Amino acid sequence: MTLPNYEFLSAPLWLVTTLHLLTLSLHFVAMNFLLGGALLVGHVARRGGGNTPMQIRLTRLLPTTMAATVTLGVAPLLFLQLVFPRQAYAAAIVSGWFWLLVVAAVLIAYAALYLCAGRSERSGRVSLPPLLLALMGLVYVSITYSAIFTMAERPDLIRALYAKDQSGLVWNPEWSDYLLRWLHMVAGAVTVGGFCVGLLGRNDPETYGTGKSFFVTGMALAAVLGFGYLLSLLPILVAFMRTPAIWALTAAIILSLGSLHFFFKKQFAASGVMLFLSLFGMVYARHTVRLLKLAGQFDPASWRVAPQWGPLVLFLVCFVLALAVVAYMLRLFFSPSERPA
Amino acid sequence: MNYPFWDVPLGYGILMGGIAVVHVFISHFAIGGGLYLVVAEQAARKRDDAAALAFLHTLSKFFARLTLVAGALTGVGIWFIIGLLNPAATEALIHNYVWGWATEWTFFFVEITAALLYYYGWERMTAAAHLTVGWIYFAAAWLSLFVINGILAFMLTPGKWLTTGNFWDGFFNPTFWPMLVLRTGVCVMLAGLYALLVAAPYAAGDFKARTVRTLTTWGLVGLAVTVAAGYWYWQAIPAEITTAALQMMPSPMRALRAAIWLAIALGVLLLVCRAMARQLPVALAVVLMAVGLAWFGSFEMFREGLRKPYAITGYIYGNGTEVAQVEHYRTDGYLSHIAYRSGDDGADLFRHACRSCHTVTGFKPLKPAFDGTDREFIAAIVRGTHLLKGHMPTFFGTAAEADEVAAYLFSRIDQRPLEQICAERGESVGPKAYAMRCGKCHPIGTASDKSVSFAGLDSDGLNGVLDMAASLGDGMPAYTGSPTERAALVAYMQTLGSQVTK
Repeated sequence: MTLPNYEFLSAPLWLVTTLHLLTLSLHFVAMNFLLGGALLVGHVARRGGGNTPMQIRLTRLLPTTMAATVTLGVAPLLFLQLVFPRQAYAAAIVSGWFWLLVVAAVLIAYAALYLCAGRSERSGRVSLPPLLLALMGLVYVSITYSAIFTMAERPDLIRALYAKDQSGLVWNPEWSDYLLRWLHMVAGAVTVGGFCVGLLGRNDPETYGTGKSFFVTGMALAAVLGFGYLLSLLPILVAFMRTPAIWALTAAIILSLGSLHFFFKKQFAASGVMLFLSLFGMVYARHTVRLLKLAGQFDPASWRVAPQWGPLVLFLVCFVLALAVVAYMLRLFFSPSERPA
Repeated sequence: MNYPFWDVPLGYGILMGGIAVVHVFISHFAIGGGLYLVVAEQAARKRDDAAALAFLHTLSKFFARLTLVAGALTGVGIWFIIGLLNPAATEALIHNYVWGWATEWTFFFVEITAALLYYYGWERMTAAAHLTVGWIYFAAAWLSLFVINGILAFMLTPGKWLTTGNFWDGFFNPTFWPMLVLRTGVCVMLAGLYALLVAAPYAAGDFKARTVRTLTTWGLVGLAVTVAAGYWYWQAIPAEITTAALQMMPSPMRALRAAIWLAIALGVLLLVCRAMARQLPVALAVVLMAVGLAWFGSFEMFREGLRKPYAITGYIYGNGTEVAQVEHYRTDGYLSHIAYRSGDDGADLFRHACRSCHTVTGFKPLKPAFDGTDREFIAAIVRGTHLLKGHMPTFFGTAAEADEVAAYLFSRIDQRPLEQICAERGESVGPKAYAMRCGKCHPIGTASDKSVSFAGLDSDGLNGVLDMAASLGDGMPAYTGSPTERAALVAYMQTLGSQVTK
C-alpha cells in the first residue's frame, strides 16, 4: 500500500503567504496595542497620573486586547508551521523550555491584566504591581519569539547549538541577529500603543497628548532601530535591495510618516489605515529577509502544491461569515439599549 | 528524523498529558457552560427570575475568565508542546488539515469575541441581543469541537485516508460520530459540574435547591450520553486495535477501567448532590470536580494510549518514525536519516528510537529493566521491541545500530551480575530473572504466558529450553545470563511448571 505523502502545500504558496502575512499583521496590531498600551498606562501611572477615567478605561481594555492578540496569533503561527515547519520546530526544540515557557508567561500576563483591571476599577487608580507583572510576561514572550524565529533562519546555527546541548535549555546566543529587530518591534508597539491611546482619548486633551507623545517617540525610536537592523543585515542587504521588498519598505516608511501627519490633524481613520499598511509593508519586508537568509538551504517554492479546494473554500466562507458575525455582534453590543440585560 | 530531539528528564506522556488534560477539562466546559448559560438565561427571563439572572451573571464572569485565560492558552499550549514532542506527526497533521484548523480558528475567533461580549453585555445589552450573542457563542464553540474532533479521531482511526489521502475520508473517519456525541455529552456534564462549584457557596434555600437540582440533571444527562457514546466509540474502533489493546496494552486498559469506576463515582456523587440540593456543601462540589477531572484524565489516557505504537495509526509511529520510510530505514539504517546529530551515535539512536516514551532513569526508566543483564541481551530486546508487551514501535534500524543502542544503555546500567544486585535488594533471583529475560514478552497470566510449556520438564529440559531460546521464535533473545542466574531461573521455571501441572 502506498501511503499518502504529507510533504505538500494544500493551497498555492502565494495564497498561504498572503494569509500568513495578513493575519500576522493583524496579530501585530493587537499585540502592539497590548504591549504599547500597557507600557503607556504603566509609564503614566508611575508618574502619578494613573487615576483618570481614561487610564482606568485603558486598563480595562487590556485583557480584551490580550484575548485579541492570542486569537489573532493562532492563524499566523499555523501558516508559518505549514510553510516553514522544519525551521520553526527545529529552533523551537533547541530552545524547548524557553518556547514552552511562553505559554506560562502569557497565562500569567493575562491573569495579571485581569487582576489589574479589576483592582484599578475598584480603587480608581491603576494598580501597578499586576501591570508590571503582565509587562514582564509580554516582554519575555516578545524577546523569546524574536530569538527563536531568528534562529529558525539559520539551520547551521541550530545544528551547532543542538550538537552541544539537547536539553532545550539553549538560548539563541547570536544577539546581533535579533536584538535590534526586537527593540524595533518594541518601539513599534509604543508607536501603535500611542496611536490607539490617542484615538481612544481624542476628546480628552491630556490623554490625546500622552498618546501623541508616545506615537512620535515610538516612531522616532523605531526608525533609528529599524535602520540599525537594516544595516545589521549587511551580508544580504544587496540582495534585499534587488527585491520588491525594498519598495514595500520605502512605502511603509512614507506611510508611517503620513499616518503621523493625519494623527496630528486628528484624522484617525486615514492615520489608522496608513499605519496598518505601513505595518503590513514592514511585515512583507521582514518576510523577504527570512527568504533571503534561508536562500540556498530552503525555498518555500520547492513545496509540491496539491490544493484541497473544498476545505480551502470552506475556510474562506467561514472566515467571511466569522467577520460578518463578529460585526453583527459588535453592532448589537454597541447599539443603545432601552433595558440592560 | 528531520528534527532535533528535545531531551528532557520528564516523560513526554507527562508533559503532553499535563497540558492536554487541563485543556480538555476547561474547553469542554467552555462549550457546555455556554449552552447552560444561554438556556438558563432564557428560562430565567421567561420567569423574570432576578436571583437566577444574578447567579448566571456570576457564573458568566467565572466562565469567561476561566475559558478565555486558561482554556484558550492551554489550547495554544498543546500547539506548542506537540511541536516539541512529535514534530514529524505535527507536520503531517498540519499539511493534511491546515484548512480544518484554519476553519476551526474562524469559529474560535467568533467564540472568543462572543464570550467577551456576552460577559460585558450583561450591563449594557438588551435581553434579546444578549441571548443572541449567547447562542452564537455556543454554536461557534460546538462547531470548533466538531472540527477538532475530526482531526483528533483521525489520529486513532484514519480509515480510508491511508489509501486515498483525501481530506474528507480522514476527517469523517470511523470514530468521528461516536467521539463527537461522546464529547458533546462531556460538555453537558461538565456544565453541571462547574456550575455546581459556583452554586455551592450560595446560602441554603429554595433558590439553591432549584439550581442544584437543575445542574445535577445536566450532569446526569451528560454522563448518560457519555457512557452510551463511549460504548458506541469502543464498537467503532477497528477490531485489530481493540484486540491488541486487550491482549498486550496494560496501560490504556488500566486507564479505561479507572474511567469506568470514576464514571460510576461521578453518577453516585451527582445523585448525592441532588439529594443535598438545599444545602450542597462546597467541599462536595470540589470533590465532584476532582473526580470529574480524574475521570476525564483517565479517559484521555485510554484514548491516547490506544494509538500505541502510533501517533497517527498506520502512518507515523509515536517516536516519529514514518511508516512510509520503513524500507529506507531497514536498508540505510536510522543514522543516515537523522538530520540533527549530537556526535554520540548511540545517544542519537536511543533518542529517536526509544526516548519519546522511555528515559534511562526517570519516567518509564529502562535502567531497572536491564540492570544485571548484558549488552547482547539488550541488543536482542532492541531488535524485538515490537514483540514486547505494551505494543511498542518496531526498531527498523540495522543490527549494528541496535547494538549501538545496547552499548549506550549498557554503559548506564548496573553491570554487576543479577544475583549480586538481587542479594543487595533482598529480591529472589529466579522471579527477577524471569521478569527481565522472559516476562517482557511472556508475562505470567496474560495471553502470551508460555509457562504451560514448562510443565513436566526437569532442570535438564528447562536448561535445554534456555540453550535453544534464540531459535524458539522470531525475535527471541539467546539466554546470556550467568550460571548462578541460570540455575535460579530454571528453579523458578520448574515452580511455574509444577503450578500448571496442579
